[in-house]
Amino acid sequence: MNSSDAVREGLIPLLPRLRRLARALAGQVADADDLVQIVLERALARAAQWRPDAALDKWVFAIARNAWRDELRARGRAQHLFAPEEAGEMAADGTAQPAQRLELALALAALPPDHREVVALVLVEGMSYGEAAELLEVPVGTVTSRLARARASLQAQLGKDA
Amino acid sequence: MNPIDDDTLQAYVDGELDASEAARIDAALAHDDVLARRVQQARALRAQLRAAFDPVLDEPVPQRLSALLQAPAAPAAAPFVRPASGHGTVRRRGPRRWFVTGAALAASVALLAVTLWWWRPGGELVRTQGGQSFAAGALEHALDHALASEPDAKAPVAIGLSFRSNDGRLCRTFVLRRAPARAGLACHGDAGWELPVLGAAAPVAGGELRQAASALSPEVQAAVDARLRGSVFDARQERAARDAGWR
Repeated sequence: MNSSDAVREGLIPLLPRLRRLARALAGQVADADDLVQIVLERALARAAQWRPDAALDKWVFAIARNAWRDELRARGRAQHLFAPEEAGEMAADGTAQPAQRLELALALAALPPDHREVVALVLVEGMSYGEAAELLEVPVGTVTSRLARARASLQAQLGKDA
Repeated sequence: MNPIDDDTLQAYVDGELDASEAARIDAALAHDDVLARRVQQARALRAQLRAAFDPVLDEPVPQRLSALLQAPAAPAAAPFVRPASGHGTVRRRGPRRWFVTGAALAASVALLAVTLWWWRPGGELVRTQGGQSFAAGALEHALDHALASEPDAKAPVAIGLSFRSNDGRLCRTFVLRRAPARAGLACHGDAGWELPVLGAAAPVAGGELRQAASALSPEVQAAVDARLRGSVFDARQERAARDAGWR
């Protein structure tokens, strides 16, 4: 099996987690799946760069994070803030009360990208601080402080009960 | 005891502390309600995020995404892999534009297939069996599927009246729009649509055959009158009869 086949086959079971990460980063369902498509295309195009001793999930999550940053740059920060009526699409239906989902979506959308990505990687995907630091190519202390500030922002936005 | 700062407390919640540090926080929590509340808030936020995003794991993966990872030699795989030179805006639109193009292409192919089917060379509209005439080809298809309540001005066959005949069969009048225009009556039986009457369509004002019923020849009209039991079907009855297979 060449590296292209290995990457292609290895990505199949990762699709649900990749979609979850994309949803946490991009917000809306359509944007998130467009992001996933871009990530898959890049991963397949760069399959030769993947080394079998590296974890495929972290490799492709790094591609996802970089693709998301590229998207933000291309679209401009202002456009990335989605309209309130669209924000509710972020979470899957039936997971929480609509009002809570909307609140959470708005709170996440208000985070700067640096903060949002650590929330997605650590709190949604469940990476350790060290893994997130490696993926983001920043010191662990930076991950810790960004995460603490992101948490404070989210809790402030979400009110006293969070 | 050292004070417990936000970063340490967060690391505790996220399982990042080593055992001895974690034990120190555990001990502090037991007699510090404020600290316990902060831990509870951080855990609640984490749980809220998981509750919001974990259901994505159970969603069906859209076909357009899983298709990218299928079959190594799939011809569809190559066009998706665009050169890495593309940039943001173009790339973002890529998937949707591709999707629209694909859908349009599929629609074109379907349209072509239908067109070829309608107009295939030598497509006979009438077949004979045991001395009787039966609908075939596009005529049979129209009688089986078309509804007068949903007229299609481009279809080669226009359906007129549908009704139950006094012999129990379901019958429909029709007009062939192609020259030479023909009008007829078809009644459904085990062998298909029998054509007891098939004749020239009556000319209508303007020479157009928009309304099949108005173009029925006197011959067809007489055949309908002779068979009609009750009244002709309304749109609902017509649809129900079609859905029941004209039984």
